[in-house]
Amino acid sequence: MQTRAGETRYQSLMSVWRTLRSMRMALILLLVVGLASVAGSLVPQFANSPQRVAAMYRDRPLLARVYEAAGLFDVYGSWWFTLAYVLLLVSLASCLVPRTRGLIRSLRQRPQPARDLEGLRHFATATVPGRPEDALERARRLFRRRWYRVSRADGDDQGLAAEKGSAREVGSLLFHSAFFLLLVGVVYGKGFGFTGQVTVVEGGAFTEAHANYDVPPAEGRFYSENMHRGFQVRVLDFEVRYRRSGLPRDFVSRVEVREGARIVRTAEIRVNQPLEHDGVKMYQSGYGWAPLIEVRQDGRLLAGGPVVFVTDGSQDQRKAWRGVVKLPSVRPQVGLELRLLPDPQAFVLGAPMLEARSPFLGFTAYRGDLRLTAAQNVFTLDKRGLREWEEGGIGIGQRAQLPGGLEISFPELRQYTQFRVARDPGTGIVLAAALLVLAGLIPALFSSRRKLWVRAMPEGDGTLVQLGGVALQRKAAFEDEFQAVARELVEVARVGEPR
Amino acid sequence: MNLTRVSNFAFGLALLLYVVAMAAYFHHLAFRRSRVRIAAVALTYAGVLAHLASVITRGFAAGRVPWGNMYEYSSIVGLLVVAGYLVVERVSKVRSLGGFALGAAVLAMAGATMVYVTPGPLVPALNSYWIRIHVVAAMTGSSLFILGFVFTLLYLVRDRKERREAARAVAEPAPALAAVGGGGLPHDLAASPDEPEPRPDPEPRPGWLPAAAVLDRLAYRTIAFGFPIWTFAVIAGAIWAEQAWGRYWGWDPKEVWSFITWVVFAAYLHARATVGWRGRRAAVIAVVGFAALAFNLYAVNLVIPGLHSYAK
Ligand code: HEM
Repeated sequence: MQTRAGETRYQSLMSVWRTLRSMRMALILLLVVGLASVAGSLVPQFANSPQRVAAMYRDRPLLARVYEAAGLFDVYGSWWFTLAYVLLLVSLASCLVPRTRGLIRSLRQRPQPARDLEGLRHFATATVPGRPEDALERARRLFRRRWYRVSRADGDDQGLAAEKGSAREVGSLLFHSAFFLLLVGVVYGKGFGFTGQVTVVEGGAFTEAHANYDVPPAEGRFYSENMHRGFQVRVLDFEVRYRRSGLPRDFVSRVEVREGARIVRTAEIRVNQPLEHDGVKMYQSGYGWAPLIEVRQDGRLLAGGPVVFVTDGSQDQRKAWRGVVKLPSVRPQVGLELRLLPDPQAFVLGAPMLEARSPFLGFTAYRGDLRLTAAQNVFTLDKRGLREWEEGGIGIGQRAQLPGGLEISFPELRQYTQFRVARDPGTGIVLAAALLVLAGLIPALFSSRRKLWVRAMPEGDGTLVQLGGVALQRKAAFEDEFQAVARELVEVARVGEPR
Repeated sequence: MNLTRVSNFAFGLALLLYVVAMAAYFHHLAFRRSRVRIAAVALTYAGVLAHLASVITRGFAAGRVPWGNMYEYSSIVGLLVVAGYLVVERVSKVRSLGGFALGAAVLAMAGATMVYVTPGPLVPALNSYWIRIHVVAAMTGSSLFILGFVFTLLYLVRDRKERREAARAVAEPAPALAAVGGGGLPHDLAASPDEPEPRPDPEPRPGWLPAAAVLDRLAYRTIAFGFPIWTFAVIAGAIWAEQAWGRYWGWDPKEVWSFITWVVFAAYLHARATVGWRGRRAAVIAVVGFAALAFNLYAVNLVIPGLHSYAK
């Protein structure tokens, strides 16, 4: 009984395997992967647009829950998407193995003889002068010149067999197996790489280490926090170049890279022109204003340094930039909400504020409890424990006094620049694989397999030559080729070979 | 001289010439007057020249390559559809389908006018030599897929007709077969190696499309030609994305839909080699592939937010 159950299990496994191996299954899996990706483009993805996902939870919580349960906010990382493409790869492998074996066998083998040439789809015959051996020799040379693989077919001394177009199968195998290499490259690169985002103010520096990113970087499974490279990037200055129309033309960060105390290089990082150092790439990804703000109490410096400001209107630059300074050491605690107009005149006119022209800093001071024990956002104040206290504004180089001996000053306006930082050691493999896909695709689609046979038998003084042919693809084009071969065969016999 | 106005004028002229040529092609399809055909071809070439002039002056007006936004992109796709058709006509000797190809080009150009913008510089993200490589490949691949789609639709129409005729031929014996225009029977294309393949009939009888088998092969050839080009466009896009955005693939909507388009046409090519999927089913997959392509160009640029949206 036991063997019986085992057998049926084995049989059903085999039938699953057979199904997977079929071309039809590969086709269906391809379509499933395509369909699954559609879902990922219509439902907002957490990785691409976290704000839209958050908005979804806010506006339609129930639907969002359902989506989440189905993995629709992260389609490309979901179990079912993974399942679909893993199955596709298994199906691919199950086709590839026997096909590769078959290809090797057929490449080793000599072309098979054919006895009955008259029965072939393409057939021609002619009587030519000379002996059969000469006719066969001429045919061999002719076929060779046309890039056919020729052989005296086994045990047939009256004929030759020739074939061409194994590039089709080779290309197809190359194209399909390159997908495995592609996957290896993707997984390797993700596993041993990371991506992060960092903001650096002009004059400031960033040391490439886990703790120094704006938010903890996304590190691959095999990349640990202490594997970061530790070099330092100092931002000398940042510049947005504009066209006369006011559209930005270029974003440029001039940086200096240091290893320890040594400057190893200086570079400009722009859009489309990242900096690569020690396997890590830095891409220009954002910018903004960072005014230097100093707050003193009775002459003692409480806070001083550049403060990173953000804007809601980074596309058109017509809105005020927002920033926050928190003063936890003052009793009661004080928080400042700041608004920066880089170019107040442009602001009043409703024009974009592209450059700093007598910038102006407005502030609202709040007093109470900053609630610093709760999770913090550096761009907003948690106002639940605060009450509005004072308001005011200062131009660059000016200072404002608040009650209680507080003094705010705005000595300088700088810019900050943002970089996307990434390491992906698999890129080279992925690129190579993609090029192999392409390299395989072209012969797989455009070459065709065809075979020719020739037989020569004595007939009177001369030789009776028979030519037969078959094409597996592009049959119409083969007809022309076949006719040409037939014509040449007869011509070289009569006139001699072209020199 | 105002280059923008020259460009727009040439665009309108090209559109007009195409429409007239399209009418001439249809006339020829219906009545097979060879003079009308010659006129149609001449008008088409004239249209291509005007169109080319429009594209080139546009490039000078903007001071950059003339494919930096949707208007320009659609315009060139229209041009390439027409140019591609002229090549197909030369290579395949099938000469009666110009009206349909021109119709597709006219639609692409009409779409272009709806997203017209005055020529201007590119945003910095697009300022890279990859715009030449990636976008040229994407435009070429797209136009070939569009042509392939046109042939596929015609195949579906013709195939349906042939099936009906064949069914009738079975019902009432013999002579009915003679009524089939291009002389083709319903074909299973890649059937046995020894089955004779119909050669394209250059001049089917008036009012008839070429045989379904001919149309099917035309569609296949065009799509197969476009496929590696599209593959290359996606690869070039990935290389560019790696350089501009710091990752070669991020499932941005444009990337997703190019991938879907790629997968669907890959499925089409596979279906052609799969028993039971050849012919109509494969044709339906090609239609779906075209839908994905069109969605990628219009819906993704205009509706779905993503990194590519600025390419409007
Ligand atoms: C993996 C990455 C990418 C893929 C798969 C991809 C795919 C495509 C496809 C299929 C098109 C055809 C036109 C269309 O459907 O709209 C296209 C057009 C275009 N792509 Fe990409 N792309 C990629 C990366 C990029 C990058 C990094 C840039 C530039 C920063 C870029 C800029 C453009 C432009 C300017 C067009 C033509 C204009 C238009 O669509 O209106 N692409 N891309």
